[in-house]
Amino acid sequence: MENQSVTALLGLDWKLFLAQLFNFVIVLFVLWRWVFKPLGKKLEERTSKIELSIKHSEEVEQKLKEAEKYRQAEMEKVRAEANTAIAQAQKNAELVKQQILAEAKVSSDKMLEQAKKEIEGEKSRAMADIRTEAANLIVSATEKILREKLDPKRDEQLIKESLKDI
Amino acid sequence: MLYALPPLAAESIFNIGTFSVTNTYINSTLTVILFVILAFFVKRSIKEVPTGIQNFFEFIIETLLTYFDQVTGDRKKSLKFLPLIGTLFLFIVVSNWIGLLPGVGSVGIHRGAEFIPLFRGANTDLNLTLAMAVFGVIASHVIGIGTIGFWRYFNKFIKAGDIVKSFKSKNFMIVFTAFIEFGVGLIEIVSEIAKLFSLSLRLFGNVFAGEVLLTVLGSIIAYAVPLPFIALELLVGLIQATVFSLLVLVYISVATMPLPDHGHNDKKKHGHDLEPAHN
Repeated sequence: MENQSVTALLGLDWKLFLAQLFNFVIVLFVLWRWVFKPLGKKLEERTSKIELSIKHSEEVEQKLKEAEKYRQAEMEKVRAEANTAIAQAQKNAELVKQQILAEAKVSSDKMLEQAKKEIEGEKSRAMADIRTEAANLIVSATEKILREKLDPKRDEQLIKESLKDI
Repeated sequence: MLYALPPLAAESIFNIGTFSVTNTYINSTLTVILFVILAFFVKRSIKEVPTGIQNFFEFIIETLLTYFDQVTGDRKKSLKFLPLIGTLFLFIVVSNWIGLLPGVGSVGIHRGAEFIPLFRGANTDLNLTLAMAVFGVIASHVIGIGTIGFWRYFNKFIKAGDIVKSFKSKNFMIVFTAFIEFGVGLIEIVSEIAKLFSLSLRLFGNVFAGEVLLTVLGSIIAYAVPLPFIALELLVGLIQATVFSLLVLVYISVATMPLPDHGHNDKKKHGHDLEPAHN
């Protein structure tokens, strides 16, 4: 009987116990079905979604970085190519210039030579002409002198005359 | 004058047939109705992008899950046990706090010279706390059996299988330890029953003590002085709900813990309880 009085003191009663258990089970059922299950699922879904999108964004970023790197490398390559092309062109131009200059020099030298030669020819021809002219003059002068060598007076006059003529 | 202290047992308000409806039962039913309405609105408001009430409940769930993770060590397990443990927590904390509302314990009827409050904190009734404890402990056993199998689970308490196995080894020491382990298993059964008492009486005792404290204080000085104690009782209600639910969670996670291999390692069993099984 002692035991019974303790349960009575604490208000233990199997009907109430079952009723309270039933209450709890209702709350459990309702929260399970309507709150914990759907919300837990939603939370999980959201977590996985966020994880996925973070992964995606990381991937995209990675790709972007790679593309940027590729672009940079390409630019570098193109720039280097352009530089070599320019250098080549410069070199070519220099070569052409040298060639042209050399050719010009050669031709000008040739012309100079020609001109010199011509001048030389003219000069020698002129000298020859002068020489013949002078010989003729001397001959004619001597002739005149010889013809008119009669008196000193005349001689002197003649010399003067011929000198004047020269 | 000192008001009459609340009795340990809940007072009956009226009868339905042979079932006497007590004031604590009224409170617990009100809590149930509140939860049904709340859950209904939560269910209706569930959207991809949370707003309002869904946000609030998601916050609660997230908070609970972080605590559960510390016990189970695994988010998946925590999610699996969330409905039961979360319900225990919410039901206890809300019914505790409803018990602190003004009007609870003060609005009542006079029956002869006796004053009987219409409402009384649901957890001041041992029936409810015991019901939850029984439910929680039985759930832990059911989940344990479901997880590691009936015979292996059964062998946790009645270690007959171990004794049979130990005889095969023909080593006296192993047989001897097997018998000791058998005794330990029997003690485990006692401890399972003790769980019921400790769970239900802890919650009941704390809430009831709070009720008595507030009644006494209110009857000495009704103004201002009980306020900090009401705040304290709010805290106690929360803490007791946490303790109750986390203990049940611990029971469940211990029950679902795979058993270590038997045989020669038997002696080390208890030290290695936390190790994952080799199966």
